Amino acid sequence: MTSIRQDLKEPFADLLLSVADDKFILGHRNSDWTGLAPMLEEDIAFSSLAQDEIAHAKALYELIGGLLGRSADELAFGRALEGYRCATIVELPDEFDWATAICRQLLCNRFDALRLARLARSTHKPLADLASRLAAEQRIHVEHADSWIVRLGAGTEDSRRRMQRALDALAPEAPMLFEPVDGQERLESAGLYPLAATDMFQEWSESIAAVTGKAGLRLTIQPPAAQTNGGRHGRHSKHLAELLDEMCEVYRLEPNAAW
Amino acid sequence: MIGIEAIMDVLRTIPDPEMPISIVDLGLVENVRIDDANGQATIWIDILPTFVGCPALEMIAASITEKVSAVDGVRRTNVRFINDPAWSVDRISSQGRASLKTHGVTVPASGATLPVPGHEGGGVQLRVSAVKCPFCDSDQTTLESMFGPTRCRMIFYCSACRNTFEHMKKV
Repeated sequence: MTSIRQDLKEPFADLLLSVADDKFILGHRNSDWTGLAPMLEEDIAFSSLAQDEIAHAKALYELIGGLLGRSADELAFGRALEGYRCATIVELPDEFDWATAICRQLLCNRFDALRLARLARSTHKPLADLASRLAAEQRIHVEHADSWIVRLGAGTEDSRRRMQRALDALAPEAPMLFEPVDGQERLESAGLYPLAATDMFQEWSESIAAVTGKAGLRLTIQPPAAQTNGGRHGRHSKHLAELLDEMCEVYRLEPNAAW
Repeated sequence: MIGIEAIMDVLRTIPDPEMPISIVDLGLVENVRIDDANGQATIWIDILPTFVGCPALEMIAASITEKVSAVDGVRRTNVRFINDPAWSVDRISSQGRASLKTHGVTVPASGATLPVPGHEGGGVQLRVSAVKCPFCDSDQTTLESMFGPTRCRMIFYCSACRNTFEHMKKV
């Protein structure tokens, strides 16, 4: 199936924007480390992570653009703040704290991997093909974060303390990744986003707990509230506004410029 | 009348911009279709990206268009990137594998990717055992970094001959 029922178009575009925007903004945050990571391998790693996430976002923007008749650039750079669908956790600056950067990778990448695995079974074939491709690549991001969590959590007293502090600060933000877009139940029953609700939070929190347990870190994480009004509904932190002002500065000067 | 093999012969002369082998040996070419109308052919070529974020894709498309369009009787060349089927290292030809080895790049053996729990359709295999050093054939090798010079390669170190080498990700 490649066409979308008219009444599902808006929720479907919203869903894909939430996936793409999470990747786009996290990729931008990842790229902050280019040239500044604590070692050469990690400089390359975070630059590669950024390259992947932004490329994944671009592929998704192209897919959404095809449905909405808009270009990928327009979707990436041409929306108002409340048009973005990313969760707050990808918006936060990590203040160049390595523990924060790594803990965020753990929480976001394991969520993204589960979401992509479900989208890979979507009845919308172009999305299923792309998501299955992205899920395979996402696996590397998960492995990368896991290895650092264990290495630092089970490292020295200082590294354990820093990781615990970062995890405690980020864990309350993470459940909002699960905030549904409007109409998500309808997408689920139409098979566009299969198993969207089914135990996804539990699967995610158990997989996080398995890694933090191995690292000797404490994890306190609560399921998302039933009624939420956050990033998936266009409500964002001031950090996203600042990030977009910087990222979109050139695009806004001349939206129709050719590159 | 242009045949598929003539087009494939042209594609075999196109090197991957980031690998020392041709795009055919790398397994990127999925399908070639020829619409021939009175000796004015349109060629449709389907290419599988190795990684979605591979920056070489546009360069590959441009080289294909340039070389194939230069064939006598070709009026138009259309290059399309598709995700079904997904590219995998299993698509690299034996000639391609041999050539990569002489350049210090090893390729995981053919076979299904290990299934990863929670990841339908498998994933990228990272915890590889006994990757043989392309220089001295030792299996005293360790993963140095899962990110390398391109999205499809990672870095290994051989403690026998003390060389680093690249290993392709099994995706």
